[in-house]
Amino acid sequence: MLQRRLLTFAFPLLFIAVVGWTFSQERLPPADFTFCNGTDIKTIDPATVTGMPEGRVVDALFEGLCRRDPKTLVPIPGVAKSWSVSDDLKTYTFTLRDDAKWSDGSKITAADFIYSFQRFLHPETTAEYAYQLWYVKNAKRYTTMKPEIGEQVEVELPREDDVKNTVRGKIEHGTLRKIETRQVEEKGEQVDVRIFDVEIAGKVRRFCSNASLALPESGIELSAWTMPSFELLGIKSDKPDRIVLTLEHPTPFFLDIIAFYPFGAVNKKCLETHGSPLWTRPENLVSGGPFRMEFRRIRDRIRLVKNEHYWNRDAVQLNSIDVLAVEGNTTMLNMYLTGAVDWVNDVPASVGPILLKDRPKEFDPEPTLGTYFYRFNVRKKPFDDARVRRALAMTIDRREIVEKVTQTGQVPAYSLVPPGLVGYEPAQCAPEDIAEAKRLLAEAGYPGGQGFPPFDILYNTQDTHKSIAELMQARWKNQLGIKVGLRNLEWASFLNTVRLGEYDVARAAWIGDYADPNTFLDMFMKDNENNQTGWGNADYDKLVEAAASEADPAKRMKILHDAEAILMREMPIAPIYFYVSKDMVQTYVRGFHSNLRDEHPLWAISIDQQEKAKVRTAEGFQ
Amino acid sequence: MIEFVIKRLLWTLLILWIVFTITFVLMELVPGGPFDGERVMDADIRKNYEKRYHFDKHPVVRYFLEIGSYCRGDFGISMKIQDFTVTEIIQQGFPISATLGVLALTFALVLGVFAGVSAAVRRGGVYDVGLMSVATIGIALPEFVVAGLAVILFVFILPLFPAAGWGSWRQLVLPTICLGLPYAAYIARLTRTGMLDILSQDYIRTARAKGLLSRTVVVRHALKGALLPVVSYIGPATAGILTGSMVEEKIFALPGLGVHLVQSCMQRDYTLVMGLTMFYTVILCAMNLIVDILYKVLDPRIKLEA
Repeated sequence: MLQRRLLTFAFPLLFIAVVGWTFSQERLPPADFTFCNGTDIKTIDPATVTGMPEGRVVDALFEGLCRRDPKTLVPIPGVAKSWSVSDDLKTYTFTLRDDAKWSDGSKITAADFIYSFQRFLHPETTAEYAYQLWYVKNAKRYTTMKPEIGEQVEVELPREDDVKNTVRGKIEHGTLRKIETRQVEEKGEQVDVRIFDVEIAGKVRRFCSNASLALPESGIELSAWTMPSFELLGIKSDKPDRIVLTLEHPTPFFLDIIAFYPFGAVNKKCLETHGSPLWTRPENLVSGGPFRMEFRRIRDRIRLVKNEHYWNRDAVQLNSIDVLAVEGNTTMLNMYLTGAVDWVNDVPASVGPILLKDRPKEFDPEPTLGTYFYRFNVRKKPFDDARVRRALAMTIDRREIVEKVTQTGQVPAYSLVPPGLVGYEPAQCAPEDIAEAKRLLAEAGYPGGQGFPPFDILYNTQDTHKSIAELMQARWKNQLGIKVGLRNLEWASFLNTVRLGEYDVARAAWIGDYADPNTFLDMFMKDNENNQTGWGNADYDKLVEAAASEADPAKRMKILHDAEAILMREMPIAPIYFYVSKDMVQTYVRGFHSNLRDEHPLWAISIDQQEKAKVRTAEGFQ
Repeated sequence: MIEFVIKRLLWTLLILWIVFTITFVLMELVPGGPFDGERVMDADIRKNYEKRYHFDKHPVVRYFLEIGSYCRGDFGISMKIQDFTVTEIIQQGFPISATLGVLALTFALVLGVFAGVSAAVRRGGVYDVGLMSVATIGIALPEFVVAGLAVILFVFILPLFPAAGWGSWRQLVLPTICLGLPYAAYIARLTRTGMLDILSQDYIRTARAKGLLSRTVVVRHALKGALLPVVSYIGPATAGILTGSMVEEKIFALPGLGVHLVQSCMQRDYTLVMGLTMFYTVILCAMNLIVDILYKVLDPRIKLEA
């Protein structure tokens, strides 16, 4: 009987407990500025982030040698107050400012930058953007662990503990004498394992990272990593306030790269004390950017507050910012329309035309550095024939796609590189021309589409991709008489399928990493992982390589243009449209500028309080 | 009773091991992996990545490594929310999903039982037909439609509640109702059927014959028996509400576990997928165990057998 009594009360009690818990949650005071940041961020570790949502937070928390101007994107001083470039454009000397401080009040020094760069390049950090710093002398060989015989190397011994990518193991310095390669069976196949003979203090010791070879009786010691000594890299500091970076080739866009958020400095002491991932916690984090992190709730919000020790604190207007993790652009729009957030960076395509008409002040799409295109798998027949690829590309009705599907002011694309890059004229592909397409197709052996093998358009599951694929399908069928199927896969399977080359035609997109055509064009060099079409052209590769070592900017742009002209003639890809920003910002937000990268640094943003009060009353926000 | 519980716990361990193995094998088989992205990783960087997560090892080796760390209670660090361990993600997300779940279940029970009993008592009437039609529609309508309608009605037309977010009780009202409605509809149907069944029994007729008030008959004598099917439905309903809250969590931007469950699979966040699968398995087993015990308490005639 007692049991039954208890039971009768158990559920109401649980209910009361839950309601009590809900009400006991402290209510947050609203932040000065709130925005939807898309999905929850992967990490705040500058070295390992790649996405735009991560970039917004990392850029607010950390600062590198330079930043980008919010309007023009030109590199402006960050922790470095000035810099000079040598005449051969290969040596950059940065002078750090005296008043640059960490959020705990200590000084940001060159040693912190050396640590940050070293950590960034270290293979254990697994920085996806590591290749961005490979323009620095010997940096690539450091990340990829390719030391050469006779040079100084560092052998890092394994650690007992598991503090990933923050603390290094004991390091032995020596001269590499020999590399022996042995085969070891792993995963049922033979893999090469390298044994390094390193002369340390006059004695040759042997190191290997494979535990099955490094046994006491074999005289081989177990090592974690062996790479060229960091001293050999073009990253030096001869004074506490000076950093000298030496590059492999003159790289005109190097400052633009260094101003990129992954190169924000991290605090060596903080990382080494707490280890990974504990150093990223608000209570442990020491950062050097305009803001510091007050708290972070998974998939809810990150609260940023002004860093009182930041050197340029007077320029920072916002005292607190809420970065909301919100999935789904409809939810974002609902929150925006009810005044819960001040900025959303995506809106549903279906409401695009309405917003463009009714709220032009808040929603004003601008071209960005991104291209939507289709890949042709040139390893497969009939796509190995450039005439076929050209014919298919010539038939695409790009205007219909941007007007009926994407609907928010996207621009039809006839080149891979988007317009707007200073000094660069994108090379155009052939415009729409059905008659010419038919002729090309007939020339390739498929008159009127006869005998053309049916193929599939592959896309990842999403409404707009599907609608575009359907338009393409109809177009190719009606105009060229080709039978086309549709095949959709969810995101991860899609990526894998494209990477393995198991497709005919696949949708793709590319967002530029830096403001230079190279970020688009080096992708289609034969051996680039992101090529994925199987296409290769020796002349193209030569031109892109030549551009990398060309010091004269005008000549360089001409070379890149010529490279793109080859790409647009051969067409392993068909450009479809250029991306536009889809930011919707309340009218009372100041310091928010449209730019090619759709980048809106939080330190530059401020709120017009008078205007805000007006808007809130007019819109009836609570 | 104690023997029954112990036996069930041992079964649970076995189930956990099987679920672990199946999940592991499925993750091995599914195309794509945690290292795939729109931007394909440089081959050398990818190698470093695989080494870090033991993906350079044979799957069998990795299976034993993982099961070993699970036995030690270490569920690892999420591969896509890299600043947090799987345990921390569950610790932060579960109370939110559970809150939403308890509120929605309470709402569903109160509304469902009330509607079911009312309909049964007025069997065949307009009221009965009306309620049951609404209930059928409630079960049939997809959650996102209900949620979308709720947002249009109570956020934009009648601005009573916030559009989305987490932090105040007002933000919980709409998700609770949207999540609870289909369950309320189902419970209403269950209650009605159970009630009709009981109302035709002899002891009810006896009670009525003794001259008891109709309300007393229904509430004191019939309800308890009519609720048995509902009680057995609470187990799966709780599990369903806990795992099924992802639509509401997404539409109303609530930081519960539902979105994690979907996202981790989409992003091939292997550690988090495994952690959440195991966690939900434990919850499911626990719910079923509790329901079995409840059964026994409600109806002493039932014998418990593992």
